Amino acid sequence: MSIDEAQTSDEERKKHRISLDRHSPRYRLEFERLSDELHAKCPVAWNETHGGYWFASGNKELFDIARRADVLSNDNDVNGTRRGYRGISIPHVSNPERRTRGGFLEMDPPEQRHYRQALNPYLSPAAVERWKPVIEELTRACLDEVIETGRIDFVDDLANIVPAVFTLAMLGMPLKDWEVYCEPTHASVYTPPDSPDYPRVQELSMRMGMHMMRTIHDIRANPRPGLINELLNAEINGYRPDDTEILGVVMLLIGGGFDTTTALTAHSLEWLSEHPGERERLSRERETLLNSATEEFLRFFTPAQGDGRTISQDCEINGTRFKEGDRLWLSWAMANRDEKVFEDPHHIHLDRTGNRHSSFGLGIHRCIGSNVARATFKIMLTAVLDRMPDYVCDKEGAVHYDTTGVINGMKKLPATFTPGRRLGAGLEETIEKLQRVCDEQRLAEPVTVRKARARLDG
Amino acid sequence: MKVRVDGGLCQGHTLCAMAAPDIFALRDEDGHAYAVNEEVPAGKEDLAREAARSCPEQAVVLAH
Repeated sequence: MSIDEAQTSDEERKKHRISLDRHSPRYRLEFERLSDELHAKCPVAWNETHGGYWFASGNKELFDIARRADVLSNDNDVNGTRRGYRGISIPHVSNPERRTRGGFLEMDPPEQRHYRQALNPYLSPAAVERWKPVIEELTRACLDEVIETGRIDFVDDLANIVPAVFTLAMLGMPLKDWEVYCEPTHASVYTPPDSPDYPRVQELSMRMGMHMMRTIHDIRANPRPGLINELLNAEINGYRPDDTEILGVVMLLIGGGFDTTTALTAHSLEWLSEHPGERERLSRERETLLNSATEEFLRFFTPAQGDGRTISQDCEINGTRFKEGDRLWLSWAMANRDEKVFEDPHHIHLDRTGNRHSSFGLGIHRCIGSNVARATFKIMLTAVLDRMPDYVCDKEGAVHYDTTGVINGMKKLPATFTPGRRLGAGLEETIEKLQRVCDEQRLAEPVTVRKARARLDG
Repeated sequence: MKVRVDGGLCQGHTLCAMAAPDIFALRDEDGHAYAVNEEVPAGKEDLAREAARSCPEQAVVLAH
């Protein structure tokens, strides 16, 4: 093929062109209109922003592409020793301090599969079930900290804390260290490099990374059960991962475990404040509604908006010809609003059926923490419904992320409610108690080793 | 009605067991689903259909 022919063929391949900057406020503010337009005109399009990449937004189109592990790669080849692929972020994160591989989410099988097989017994529904008393107790303590004041910030006082402390518990890390991880994990998602706050967030992130490395060394020297211990002992496709690779995996688990669950919880609480009738119905009929409502909030808010891939071999899917090396964005968020699958897609129906959303991704990279996210969300939500049934969010004080190119999150969600009575100890004391419970009962063992539910008495 | 979960497609989303806990169970170690019995209990056909509709990976296979 001549160069001219190749160019013509490329033009033809990319005939549906769009120019949509996901990191612009427009993407967030016009999300529903843009979704409808793309679904109608070009459910798979060539997006000319950020160096050019395929943008899959249609539900069927995304479904047919996302599960093709045979032609997709998640690999982030940070050292340039393989094919030079650039992982799951679009645009690629080029900051040298953050140029680490994003754990097994930026790997392909067989290594990716080995990691998941090692970690699944810590994160499966049966594994998470054992932890519920701990999550409930943490939630209780967070609410007790504010229950007498009649004021709460649902992000700072609840939805940031519970996922953070619980994630550290599963990792086998000291629970009291949660504050080292909480702020930088959230702030690095919503602070762009041109923000005046960026250097501070960078500094916090560096401290967090160093703290994490020390913790990994500590657990290597003094083994204690948990995800980190598993990583230190796992054999991945015939090799033992070094500390840098383990650090990438732990950062993935922390990044995946914190900001997404916070985002889901805050958005859902905000929506329920705006729809008090639905809130009352959900509280009253939670036996039958809590599951479907949770899936509907997941669909509608899609905390992790999408994931990048690299095409690993030339292929044609539903008439689009992809070339090896092409970049691709799987828009879970837009696929979740496709009216061909979801009736009345831009409205929340707490009792929606057939809700096969893709908020945890599709295919072999399905969010490994999905069961953790659901359990934590449901416990926080129902505790708020029980203890602050009349809360009203302050519209002026609510702060959404400026852009939602990666996570559809919130920074602040203040609310007021009729004050109530404390039920127990405050957060600090509760964390100390839960640390003892974790240690004595070895709660962070995998479900294959320890099946019993956590006991908080005594 | 017969039901099975295609193990090659299931990724452990758990929505089938959420829709029809009597028909599907989840493996302890990874949450991947399987049908408790090949035969859907009489009267539970709608729940099986709802499970199939809800599966993000379309891994629930129904047959008459």
